[in-house]
Amino acid sequence: MGERILLIEDDPQLGAQIADFLGRAGFEPTWWTGGRPLQPGESSAYGLIILDLMLPGTYGLDILRQLREGSDVPVLILSARNDTADKVRALKLGADDYMTKPFWPEELVERVRARLRRPVMQRQSLLEIGALQVDLQSREVRVEGKPVELTRVEFDLLAALAKRPGAAVTRQWLVENVLDPEREGSERTLDVHVSRLRRKLGPGKHVETVWGIGYRLGEGGET
Amino acid sequence: MKLRMRLALTTVAVAIPVALCMAWIHRAVEARALETALSEYALVHMLSGGRERCEAAPESWSSEPRGPPPPGEWKEPGSRPPPEWRSGGPPPLPPGGGGPGGPGGPRPPRGTRLFAYDSELSARNPAAPRLDASLVEAMRRGQDVASLSSGFGMREPRRILVRMPWGTGPCAFVLVHWPERSGPREKFPSIPLEFWLFPSVLALAGVLFALGPVVGRLRQLTREVRTFVGSAYQGSITLRGNDEISELARAFDEAGHEVRSQMELKEKREQTLRSFLENTTHDVMIPLTVLQGHLAELQQRAARGETVEASVVAAASQEAHYMAALIHNLGAAARLEAGEPSVQRAPVDLNALVERCIGRHRPIARGQGVQLDYAVPEAPVRVIGDDTLIEQAVSNVIYNAVRYNTRGGHVAVVLERLPSNTFRLRVLDDGPGIPENELSHVVERRVRGDAARTRGPGGHGLGLNIAWRVSVLHDWRLQLGPSEYGGLQVDFLGELPPPS
Repeated sequence: MGERILLIEDDPQLGAQIADFLGRAGFEPTWWTGGRPLQPGESSAYGLIILDLMLPGTYGLDILRQLREGSDVPVLILSARNDTADKVRALKLGADDYMTKPFWPEELVERVRARLRRPVMQRQSLLEIGALQVDLQSREVRVEGKPVELTRVEFDLLAALAKRPGAAVTRQWLVENVLDPEREGSERTLDVHVSRLRRKLGPGKHVETVWGIGYRLGEGGET
Repeated sequence: MKLRMRLALTTVAVAIPVALCMAWIHRAVEARALETALSEYALVHMLSGGRERCEAAPESWSSEPRGPPPPGEWKEPGSRPPPEWRSGGPPPLPPGGGGPGGPGGPRPPRGTRLFAYDSELSARNPAAPRLDASLVEAMRRGQDVASLSSGFGMREPRRILVRMPWGTGPCAFVLVHWPERSGPREKFPSIPLEFWLFPSVLALAGVLFALGPVVGRLRQLTREVRTFVGSAYQGSITLRGNDEISELARAFDEAGHEVRSQMELKEKREQTLRSFLENTTHDVMIPLTVLQGHLAELQQRAARGETVEASVVAAASQEAHYMAALIHNLGAAARLEAGEPSVQRAPVDLNALVERCIGRHRPIARGQGVQLDYAVPEAPVRVIGDDTLIEQAVSNVIYNAVRYNTRGGHVAVVLERLPSNTFRLRVLDDGPGIPENELSHVVERRVRGDAARTRGPGGHGLGLNIAWRVSVLHDWRLQLGPSEYGGLQVDFLGELPPPS
């Protein structure tokens, strides 16, 4: 089962909707319709807390302040007010993210995922993206366990993308940081290296072209 | 209290102490004159035979004058008042003393007695009163005359000790005993009416006379100010002159004009606000109506058991999204109108900001079949600015790129560090773009009049205008141009804060 998420939202419709979406996205939501101080240790049961700023009777920021005295569970603030001062205050008090109403449920789920993913460091020398394994130390690459021979430039290119899986990297950056500065480096040269790399990695969209930007390392499926 | 009454009371309050003071001086001078007269009388009496009689029988000598003093020598006490008293009325007479009593002048009042003392200040006559210590002391100091009175005023008993010119023998000093007069004792000097009444009345009349025109002008000013206020500060105050009242009138006039110009400004603002509100209502009502239409259609289809078309749901979502964006923009516009004080300056992580904008618009882009992607540098790009305003500006540009794109189109958002410590946030699309000659107008549309009606074909208006104003506020540049893919390319270009 997914991560437990505490939702504190007084509006019955919005609360039900959010809880529903979180459940469908694979999380395990707990929904409180009123704000009350969390007992010590209570917050550790949850992977993340979604807190509405305008609750009847209590001020959301007070709950946040009280929560932050003994816990560093990620907190996502919901507010109807798109006011920088509110936002700055909430972030200062230790909120991790701030969302303004209205929002799309997908957007909220996306933010929750991003927040839960964030602490995981991608800094080990062996990177695994789908069927792809990239060992930065030994400069070895395997697809479904089978080693793949790459040139220096091709490996650097793949490593650069593998260090930020799922993130698009611009052609410009790749030309400047991956291609050999001694030799003539251009975006066309880069595209040639990419097409060779794709051929060597075999079927499956490992290296995706991102329109208007450059390239990205995907999961390798047929997305 | 009225001005006249206040000034009259002040005048009276000042006049009474002055009159009392003058009366006191009057009494002091009168007493001094009496002493002089009595000592002179004693001297003359002794010189004209009194000494011989006294030295002949010092044990029993005591004189009660019977006859008039030599002519010209005795003067009535108080007959030499200060000149100003003369004008005030007849000088007061010593109580008990009559008026002029004969051709040689008046005799001193009855009961006045003389006693003789020797050079040691002791009396041979047992009937002589004991000398007071203060009189003895004064004589020892070498004074010629010393006086003692038990009270203030002419009725009080008085003793005056006079040194005789010969200075030896049993009659070296003579005491003049001035007995108590009949009549009530005076605690306070009585003040003749004329002393204080006449000058006080004169001063009062002068004050009231001088005040007349001042009060008149003040009343006129009051009337004019009332009329001026009553006419909603139209016209002006006409009271002229070069005194303080006309200065006050000018100050009122200036204040009135200031109030009027502020009122006009406020009215103009209200007018702007009203038309802004009307246009905004119009702007929100249209997507709301469209949304209601879509929902009605969905409801009917559901009621008939038909399948719901994805395109209708997507269109409804778009309308809702549009309304949210519009309301956010109105909030941003209001803050931009309010100016600098409502704008925050704090560190802003542009990477996170771009990710939030993508998160906000990706659901709608997906529904519209537009591919929305972004790239940010690995290390966060930080600027100083207003988080929500920047987010709104970037969000507007992304939303426009998505909204005016066609199914199967692309939108890319790229944040980059450029050399020389600057950044570029680029939003590019392969949509229809904006013709070159319209590019400059698109940004300059203001939130006024019909410009607030941002909807309709190519209605980039309010959103881009806010992006432009936010850029100006942060000293950034907003560059619009055709993208290499045929659509629009919008760049936010700005400086990064110096690395700390």
